[in-house]
Amino acid sequence: MRAKSLSDILKKGDRIAVSNITGREASKVSIISQSYCRNIVAGWALGKDGQTVDVPGGKPIPVFGQFEDLLSALPDAKKPNKIIVYSPPDAVYGDVKEVLEHGKKFVETIFVITEHVSIEVTAKLKSLADSADIDIVGCNTLGVINAYDRTRVGAVGGDSPDEAFVKGSVCIVSNSGNMVNTIATYLKPAGLGISYGISTGKDPLILTPIRELLPLAMMDPRTQLVILYVEPGGSYEEEAIAYLKSLKCPKPVIVYVSGQFAEGRSISLGHAGAVVEGPNTTASAKMKMFDDYFGVPVFDPDHPKVFMSILKEKKRGVRVNALHDLVNAAMAVTDACGIKTDFSPTQPIGLNPWFKNFGAFEHKLPRTMIIHPGNIPEPYGSLVERYVKSGFGRIQTRQSMRNASHASSNDGVTPRIYGYSVMNLMNKGSFVESVLLYWLGHPLKHEFEIRLFEMGLIASLTNGPGTISSQAPKLSASAGNSPNTAMIATLAAIGTVHGGNGQEAARMLIDVFGKTGLTDPYNKKNAPDLDAIVRDYVKKFKERKVVDKEAGLHYEKVPCLGHPVFNKEAVNFDPRERVIAAYMDEHKIYNVFHDFYHRLTRGMTSAGVTSKVHAVNVDATLTCILMGIAWPLLVEKKITVERALDLPFLAFALGRVAGGAGEYLDHRESGTDMDMRIPVSECKFLGRVQD
Amino acid sequence: MSAKIGELIFLQQLAGRFKIPVPDFVVEPVNQSDIKKKLQVWGSGIVKPDVLAGKRGKAGTVHKVSDYREAMQLLKKVAAAEVGGLQPRTSYMVQSVPAEMELFTAITYNSKFISPSFTVSLKGGIDVESIPDSDKITIPVDVFRGLNAYQASEALSKLGLHGSLNSMLARCFVNQWDMFISTGMQSCEINPWRVTKDEKIFACDFKATFDENNFKFRDLGFEFPEYPSTEEAFDEEMRLWSAASHQGQAHVSSLGGKKILPILFGGGASTIIIETLAQCGGDPIFLSDFGGNPPYDRMKKTAEICFRHKLANASLLLILGGKANNTQIDVTFAAIADALEEWVAQNGPIHIPVVIGRGGPGLVQGLAVMKKTLENLNLPFVFFGPDTPITLVAAYAAKLANYSEIEGKEDQK
Repeated sequence: MRAKSLSDILKKGDRIAVSNITGREASKVSIISQSYCRNIVAGWALGKDGQTVDVPGGKPIPVFGQFEDLLSALPDAKKPNKIIVYSPPDAVYGDVKEVLEHGKKFVETIFVITEHVSIEVTAKLKSLADSADIDIVGCNTLGVINAYDRTRVGAVGGDSPDEAFVKGSVCIVSNSGNMVNTIATYLKPAGLGISYGISTGKDPLILTPIRELLPLAMMDPRTQLVILYVEPGGSYEEEAIAYLKSLKCPKPVIVYVSGQFAEGRSISLGHAGAVVEGPNTTASAKMKMFDDYFGVPVFDPDHPKVFMSILKEKKRGVRVNALHDLVNAAMAVTDACGIKTDFSPTQPIGLNPWFKNFGAFEHKLPRTMIIHPGNIPEPYGSLVERYVKSGFGRIQTRQSMRNASHASSNDGVTPRIYGYSVMNLMNKGSFVESVLLYWLGHPLKHEFEIRLFEMGLIASLTNGPGTISSQAPKLSASAGNSPNTAMIATLAAIGTVHGGNGQEAARMLIDVFGKTGLTDPYNKKNAPDLDAIVRDYVKKFKERKVVDKEAGLHYEKVPCLGHPVFNKEAVNFDPRERVIAAYMDEHKIYNVFHDFYHRLTRGMTSAGVTSKVHAVNVDATLTCILMGIAWPLLVEKKITVERALDLPFLAFALGRVAGGAGEYLDHRESGTDMDMRIPVSECKFLGRVQD
Repeated sequence: MSAKIGELIFLQQLAGRFKIPVPDFVVEPVNQSDIKKKLQVWGSGIVKPDVLAGKRGKAGTVHKVSDYREAMQLLKKVAAAEVGGLQPRTSYMVQSVPAEMELFTAITYNSKFISPSFTVSLKGGIDVESIPDSDKITIPVDVFRGLNAYQASEALSKLGLHGSLNSMLARCFVNQWDMFISTGMQSCEINPWRVTKDEKIFACDFKATFDENNFKFRDLGFEFPEYPSTEEAFDEEMRLWSAASHQGQAHVSSLGGKKILPILFGGGASTIIIETLAQCGGDPIFLSDFGGNPPYDRMKKTAEICFRHKLANASLLLILGGKANNTQIDVTFAAIADALEEWVAQNGPIHIPVVIGRGGPGLVQGLAVMKKTLENLNLPFVFFGPDTPITLVAAYAAKLANYSEIEGKEDQK
């Protein structure tokens, strides 16, 4: 069934199926679309039968191997009436043919998102779709959005369609997908929202071009104004204008025609179809055709009065010469044609720098060229506070890492860690510094860091055979397991409670010191006022503790404070921490985090927050060492906060898994089979016998 | 994307395969004795350059000859003479065909029909733009069934050509269609078909464009000719890099400008931005479109090529696009920032302003990465979000580039 209205192309309740849904683009866009409008019923991809595309907070999208399987599996009420094709170029023809063969009864519209489809295949798709009496949009369309029904196909609106597409009275038909989104954003200052945003694609053949869409827009009850973005190439506009001329009272149109600068030059524009193929297909010719139709000269923002008087008489619309003139032109056209705006106009459009740092260059600029940072609109303002102004840690970008690594490489000659030759590290480095290179991506800055970290690793090896991480390899040996299983058992017996406290300590240190402007944690002179920081921390901790206690909640504890053995003494120390502290004293190494931790134990006791005398335990010390190493990299945004947070746990796990191996070796040699078993007689049953 | 060929490749590789009658020909280098023999049979020949430029007559490089010594000289001379700024691949001589009639035919994909179309005119031998609409007929061709002899014959009848010649020409036109559809052509034009007094038909000039997206083009059965090109090293490297992957765009077209190095995103946005820069005196170095959500590696290499060729002489770096629907801004900006850092590490510091305008997924994270890099490199910068129209950003950048240029010149003194 061919569309008789814009809503026939896309409306609420449409059921979408996506080809090649597991592909990079298709899966990403489908997840966002599903969160936005939940209109995807299923997808298919060869060889991916049975998989799903998981949607956060929603039902996973089922994936079938073929379209025929998809149709068979879905009940009639869920069978798709719209298809999005994301198949690779050479597979597009086959996939569309499959859809038409099996889904003719259900499918109304096919949207071909794929780029680089050959012209021959494009022509064949048109022929097939015409024979089946269905619409086909593309190829290389970005998709369509129906802002009234808050539904979309394809990627129109990006990852936050609500941001640009507020429901309203303007239909955008564009040769550029990006321009659909961009123009919708620009119209907000004019108080105009969107009825439909349609990306036609701009391949050499446009399967549903403006000449077919314009009649639908003219009949659409929600659309009061049409905005066209047009590029050179094709005779579509000539025929569209002929249609407009045939109407008694056409709705007003605003058009922007790009690409005039390329005339007479042998350059190719961005879109494959933006190629002149005859006298009426150049940008200049299209401009002239539209100007002749409108009966008004191109929009001149400097002389609105002259323009308005003609516009009020003709009421057909106008062409703009610059994209940013769209706002003023839209306001003029709505005024002249008596069209009500959709909402109160937002902030006027203009240059609004978000950040600027011209430095000395600014002195060379005349006053008129100097601009000042303005307001950053939401939701960006909050994100800027979080990512840019907080200024801490690297913002990592993501990509497929299946066959890629920043951390290691091997060109067949030299294995490397973050670009550093393993052989050179073997010759000149140490295991400890190589591990830190692997974890941080950057070599250590200070020699003493190697020794400090090594001491931390030694301390992590063991805390005696009674700890659960030492019990685990002993259990494993007792059961007759192999060494790797025993090591896994060790790792399996550490977690957030045992061993993971260092991560909490790191989080606390980042929270406390992240706002202080601290750059060098080893420089005592420039250290922030630790007593003030401790006072503030203890005060807030006390307040939280009181509230939690009164509410009967399990109250928060300061991570890595306390020692299970010596907590009644007047002065309390973890003996392993003392070794590291002595080394630091001896070598005049200052660590602001370590200093803070000691002041905090004293501050907690003197403020009466606790009756115990806390000790800075070895986990805290290891965390302080690692944060000392990581801090400059965080400040310089060379590593992420998440990476820094993981370091203490990784270090503890590394030391303890080696210690666990020692327990395994000992137990395997000296223990007896099953000696870790607890006799039945010693086990208590706490329930009630039921039968 | 398109790849073109001219008459010589048609004569050598395609005409025989598709049974299209063509005149005899020889290709430079050729022995004097061979030329002599040919001219003794032909009477006269036409010397032409094998070049993809120029209109009919190839800017005065097409010559009719009957003397073998003159032919020899002309073949050498024409092979070395530039046509429209392009060097010919070689030269060749075709048999001169005395004609009673000249026709024009073209097969192309037509936006009006959204299908292939066939155009024929009995006014061949002149530039197609000079043929009035009343003297030519264009008919749609069913892409599955192709052009049949009946349709071709009917078109000729409408132009007033009947009889046996109509039938013979129709068969030739069907063969032209077979060639067009079998090789993945986007358009092909034979102008003129020459018909002798005794009704012998010859295809006497030819040009065609292939659709590089068509799988048939990838296996033409002959090695695609390499025409000498005046393409800049930058354009050539980017063209090869663009063809290396379909993930993300890597399209550039040199404009010969000297001020702004534009890293642009979006087929439409890039056109609009370049147009604005040109209008406002921004003198952009090239047109670019790097949208289509390129992965990190693709974007980094793209930026690296742009910087390696063009950054040293640019007055301003412009990174600009509309509000992306799909392109990850954090990924693309991290890639550009890393490429910029590496370029500076290898080539030393630069002092040009950087103007950035963008919107889309991961925007703020992308801006954070870029801001840090520009601060590290001590480059003056300004960022705009999607609330500022790209045309305003482009106009501002164009003005700013003028002051950067002045600054650069002063520094050089």
